Amino acid sequence: MRSVGLWKGFFVALLAMGLIAFIPHQALAAKELRIGIGIDADSLNPHEQTTTLIQNICDFMYDTLFYQNEQAKVVPMLATEKSVSKDGLVWTFKLRHGVKFHDGTPFTAEAVKAGLDRALDPKLKVPLRFMITMIDRVEVVDDYTVKIHLKYPYAPLDYVLSATISAPFSPKAVKELGDKLAVQPVGTGPYKLGEWVKGERIVLVRNDNYYGKKPTLDRIVFTVVPEHGTRTAMIRSGDLDMIVLPQPPDVAAMEKDPNLKVINAPSTRYLFMGINNQKDIFKDKRVRQALNYAVDKDTIVKKVLFSLADVAEGPMPESLFGYYKVGKYEYNPKKAKELLAAAKFPMDRKISMITPTGRYTFDRQVSEAIQAYLTDIGLNVELRTYDWPTYIAMIYKPIEQSETELFLLGWGPIILDADFMLYGQFHSSVLPPKGMGSAFYSNPEADKLFDEGRMAQDPAKRKEIYKKASLLLWDDAPWIWLYVQKYTVVHRKNIKGIVVLPMEKFNPIYATIE
Amino acid sequence: MFNYVIKRLLSTLPVLVGISLIIFILLRSLPGDPAQVIAGELATQEAVEAIRVQLGLDKPLYIQYAIFMSNLIRLDLGKSARTSQPVLSEIWSRLPNTVLLAIVSIALACILGIPAGILSSVKHYSLTDYVVMVLALFGISMPVFWLGLMLIIVFSVKLHLLPAGGIGTFSHIILPSFTLAIFSTAFIARMTRSSMMEVLGQDYIITARSKGLLEKIVILKHALRNAFIPIITVIGLQFGSLLGGAVLTETVFAWPGIGRLIVDSILARDYPVVQGVVLIFALLYILVNLVVDILYAYIDPRIHYD
Repeated sequence: MRSVGLWKGFFVALLAMGLIAFIPHQALAAKELRIGIGIDADSLNPHEQTTTLIQNICDFMYDTLFYQNEQAKVVPMLATEKSVSKDGLVWTFKLRHGVKFHDGTPFTAEAVKAGLDRALDPKLKVPLRFMITMIDRVEVVDDYTVKIHLKYPYAPLDYVLSATISAPFSPKAVKELGDKLAVQPVGTGPYKLGEWVKGERIVLVRNDNYYGKKPTLDRIVFTVVPEHGTRTAMIRSGDLDMIVLPQPPDVAAMEKDPNLKVINAPSTRYLFMGINNQKDIFKDKRVRQALNYAVDKDTIVKKVLFSLADVAEGPMPESLFGYYKVGKYEYNPKKAKELLAAAKFPMDRKISMITPTGRYTFDRQVSEAIQAYLTDIGLNVELRTYDWPTYIAMIYKPIEQSETELFLLGWGPIILDADFMLYGQFHSSVLPPKGMGSAFYSNPEADKLFDEGRMAQDPAKRKEIYKKASLLLWDDAPWIWLYVQKYTVVHRKNIKGIVVLPMEKFNPIYATIE
Repeated sequence: MFNYVIKRLLSTLPVLVGISLIIFILLRSLPGDPAQVIAGELATQEAVEAIRVQLGLDKPLYIQYAIFMSNLIRLDLGKSARTSQPVLSEIWSRLPNTVLLAIVSIALACILGIPAGILSSVKHYSLTDYVVMVLALFGISMPVFWLGLMLIIVFSVKLHLLPAGGIGTFSHIILPSFTLAIFSTAFIARMTRSSMMEVLGQDYIITARSKGLLEKIVILKHALRNAFIPIITVIGLQFGSLLGGAVLTETVFAWPGIGRLIVDSILARDYPVVQGVVLIFALLYILVNLVVDILYAYIDPRIHYD
């Protein structure tokens, strides 16, 4: 009897918790789309972004001069007309009338200049500035005409002007807000920032003064849910309406869920095992080709990535202008061994392979599979993982200090043009520390093609140049060409009209909720 | 007592200076360049250099530390390298969430753990005792990550009773606080049991019983009060570590607390935020310890601090 009181207390506590459990949770507000995201934004200033997802959020608030649509075509947005001088150095744009920024400032040529001048200001933190460094200066002709003078001809400039970094800025906001632009975005886009609770949610509310077709959704709420498993659970339980890039093993279960729709769209995220082309052992192209023949990409995509990727058939993603399908490097371990023998490769030499872990979908597992395939042909490969900051510090060291040999990396062109991919990775002028050519590939013949592709204005001619470049690179094999990831978007079936874009972005602004 | 509290508070200053120095050196010994992380994998060396200068990372280490300390004296923890916003505002936007979760969890752990431990000790070596202790063993060994996901699957996905994650209404705190409380409950229950068992064998308990006091009074007044010192120590330690951020629980339940802030900041090599959060952690830990020490004197009148 003496412990009855204690038991009573214990059960009262349990009962109270049980009752609390039945309090219904927040009901869905009208016309609100709840999207689960894995990370919070560092900044909502389009100039400070490197993460595609956060650029995507900025895009809803900041319209750009052009827009890359779902067919990977560039269409006018804030610009209405473009013309290019014969030498390709001066681009003239006519601008849309009657557009206002969220702070009431009218959109004019001054805003185009304010945005680009700010992005080009070397004193400010603009990580992707290299994307627009072909711009020499911006000239305001009149309120609705702007001229952009280039340092060298650059054919895909309209693509560049559709990127988040090129968004026009309200001159008033640039002057008055300074650093606060990171938390107080002022654009011309269909949505305005409603609320940003750090680490928790970003709420966008409809801009009722939007110049274009009125968006259908009142609010878009981005909820920060770092754990993949929880995001999946939340969309299945109805706590979220949409998520992007779920873990591949969860996709099959979600495809079977009658309440969910899964879209596996092509993307531009190209994964490769970089080879340090200037290391003694990898200087012979036959060795690099052997590595390509040794790895069974089809099996990796099927077994490790649950088929949520396409094996690469050329040195760039298919959605890029200038893509040329060369055809897969078949899995042929016998040929790989022959090539290594012909190149007199020292088989007992230990090869170092490094991989990030958690940066890309199943990155470590993919690297382990590649290590196993290379071991199969008799190579001695040691695999190490590093956290991301350590990793990028290692691969972007200059050649004299570089210790990398094989390294897994992804490259997701935000500009759907071959120049962005090929020049940015393989031109001799972009070797670290100057640029991101982490494979230290340098070939004067390829450089010439990349230069010509950048300067030529005729699309047909450019295609021809990039075909030649693709064939040359494929044969030179500066990387183990792996695969292009798919971009998976999952939403509840009652949502209609989510548009998925080719550069790992989505556009839900005209979606409807049934 | 007042003098003691003042003395203890003053003694935190050298501790904080020591911690600031250690964290400053440790952070800078980590491989990886914060400027490169902020610039991203697409940035050129020129962009990285510009960011390094902007963050003041181009200056010699001792100057960086001197700047940090002189700002600290003015209670300025600097600006986040990632977000360019003041570190204090970054911390204050998360800290209340962590404190709320820690308080609810520790309260839950006390409500469940102390009665369970008392029950176990009173009925020692009985079936009840074994059941409670086996449950406690489960509680201590269960991985938080797994437990959290299981609770989400049962209560959110299958039963639709509770939200799977996020923050906002009271129902949002139930699953994370329960997940977090399980370990502390088990720990407190075991400590209560062993501490009570020791006390229950003492002469004064036999005396109390022979006086004919009600068993309830013997247990709760005579035994529990004497057994409470180690229990309160465990509760204090548990509370301190809960305040330090329950990273896994916060991650699983999308709870925007300070644990996640520090992990994200370490991964981004955001030195100012990591330094700021560690100092705040240290301060909270010291304060919780001080409160526990003061409680000792309250529980056991034989303990004096003057």
